[in-house]
Amino acid sequence: MNGVKNLWAWALLTPPLVVALALFVIPLLYLFYISLHTTSPSEIYGSTLTLENYTSILSDSFYLGIIRRTLATASAILGLCLLIGYPVAYFVALLPPRRRMIVLLLLLFPLMVSNVVRAYGWVAILGRRGVINTGLRDLGVIEVPLDLLYNVEAVVVGLMTILLPYMVISIANTLSAMDRRYEEAAHALGAGPIRTFLHVTLPLSTPGVASGMLLVFLLTLSAYVTITLLGGPRSKLLVSMVYDSVVGFQWPRAAALAFILLALALALTGVILAILRPNRIQGTGR
Amino acid sequence: MSRADVRLDNVRKSFGAVVAVNDVTLDIERGTIFSLLGPSGCGKTTTLRLIAGFEQPSAGEVYIRGQRVTSVAPYRRDFSMVFQSYALFPHLNVAENVAFGLRMRRVPRGERGAAVKGALELVKLGAFADRYPRQLSGGQQQRVALARAIVVKPAVLLLDEPLGALDKMLREEMQVELRDLQQRLGITAVFVTHDQEEALTLSDRVAVMRGGVIEQVGAPREIYDRPVNEFVAGFLGASNFLDGCVVSREDGVALVETAGGRVRVVAASAPVGAKVRLAVRPERVRMNRPGGDGLSAQVRSIVYRGAVTHYYMDGAGGSLLAYAQNAAAGDWEVGDDVRCAWDAEGGVLVAPEPT
Repeated sequence: MNGVKNLWAWALLTPPLVVALALFVIPLLYLFYISLHTTSPSEIYGSTLTLENYTSILSDSFYLGIIRRTLATASAILGLCLLIGYPVAYFVALLPPRRRMIVLLLLLFPLMVSNVVRAYGWVAILGRRGVINTGLRDLGVIEVPLDLLYNVEAVVVGLMTILLPYMVISIANTLSAMDRRYEEAAHALGAGPIRTFLHVTLPLSTPGVASGMLLVFLLTLSAYVTITLLGGPRSKLLVSMVYDSVVGFQWPRAAALAFILLALALALTGVILAILRPNRIQGTGR
Repeated sequence: MSRADVRLDNVRKSFGAVVAVNDVTLDIERGTIFSLLGPSGCGKTTTLRLIAGFEQPSAGEVYIRGQRVTSVAPYRRDFSMVFQSYALFPHLNVAENVAFGLRMRRVPRGERGAAVKGALELVKLGAFADRYPRQLSGGQQQRVALARAIVVKPAVLLLDEPLGALDKMLREEMQVELRDLQQRLGITAVFVTHDQEEALTLSDRVAVMRGGVIEQVGAPREIYDRPVNEFVAGFLGASNFLDGCVVSREDGVALVETAGGRVRVVAASAPVGAKVRLAVRPERVRMNRPGGDGLSAQVRSIVYRGAVTHYYMDGAGGSLLAYAQNAAAGDWEVGDDVRCAWDAEGGVLVAPEPT
């Protein structure tokens, strides 16, 4: 019986495993192999094995600055999404199911517009001749247009507005699935609204918070269009560096940068999971 | 009145057009277990939630220990509660769950540890302090929920069908334990259940509810033996119902003419000539040989239940049911003619259900 069951499990698992191996794991290993070589003017990579790509990036203050800026930008977006997203999710979760679905669909609506279009939307708002600058000038508040575009702040605002729905939906799903009896049990034990939230609701929502944070964080690290259009040449992040190296035909360096990005993503995923420990909440306690 | 730990004064609760609790007035005495018994949807859980403050009454007042708490938030009321689903916090272990109420009441850490240990020993879970709720069986979770509720020494302990999720054996064991614990600690408890045996086993007083209204309040024996109406008689166990007319009465005993013959019944009221409905518990019915005393009937079917045997019979006034102890049982067979009799205090006149 068990053997038959196992056979079925393997039969079902084999096709996706093969696809993942052929199209993801092997190319990734190949990319890693490339990153360990010198640059060649004529080939994709040179013939000498070296760690040079990594050591030169990690000892270059320019690249270290980019890494720091990448982390700072991602943290700012993460913090803002959490701060703005949690209260929204909390109230969305309190809605009756039908209305909750309508609100969640409304939240998803902006995601149906391409990132490129949305980034240009921000350009139209924040640019030197954008809505804000012309408005302020017409009101006589400013004479010289403000530099609202092509800086880290613009990137943060642009990405935050794109990624906020992921945070809200993750947390709202966890909160609406939570048994409200837990909050009543806390009240019955003398906990007021604030302490009920801090000691019961918030810890019980960590699975949603964790998945929301991971989504926002990983999507921030891999975002490109928004960063390029709103950050301009002076606010580049790690992804921009990968792209620049590729167009500069420095394939091994691009590969090394990609792996540094991957390492950062893995490390911070680990940190988020270690702090929130969402697996604690498994099981309903019934 | 000073002895009443919980008092509901003409409390009404409506949800839209539905009246869940309809002008309920109750006094629950200190140190007793009070059960709210009724079928699902009778308003018993809503009544409990009104005491807790999870629901606001549409009208009327709620008092705990003599203080009016009608508009007081639940977390400022002096009660604790055991939920049907237990609602143990899944992110906290057993000891942390039990300590929660003490932490919220700002009991110093040192005192907390001793109190938690004591409460866990009281429910025989001293060795499980470090476990998480998901690692416990249903019965163990139930005990943790109980420990968490009693450790804060509440003025009143509310229990919402706390034994409903347990299997029959465990439930009966927990009933006895719960009763024992309540008496040792002298807690006032309000217990919601739809299980009439549980209510009779556990309670000092029982309120039988239907449609948001309390049909009868009394000690278990009182509501079982002297139900005021057909619903209460039927809900608390099997009953034979016989329609008849009072033909004479003396010394508080009425003679009632039924379709199958005349029976005597203790009845304070019921004037001569009144049409009445008589309820008789099956265990009160004695079966005699033909020619003996009682209403004539014929045995239709026999169900052997171990300790007792159930006899289903057809009589002139409808079907009759008798429970006979097997140690003393006669050997009746299907088709036998019998005479069914009972003592005058074995029957009770009940208000019939409006049809």
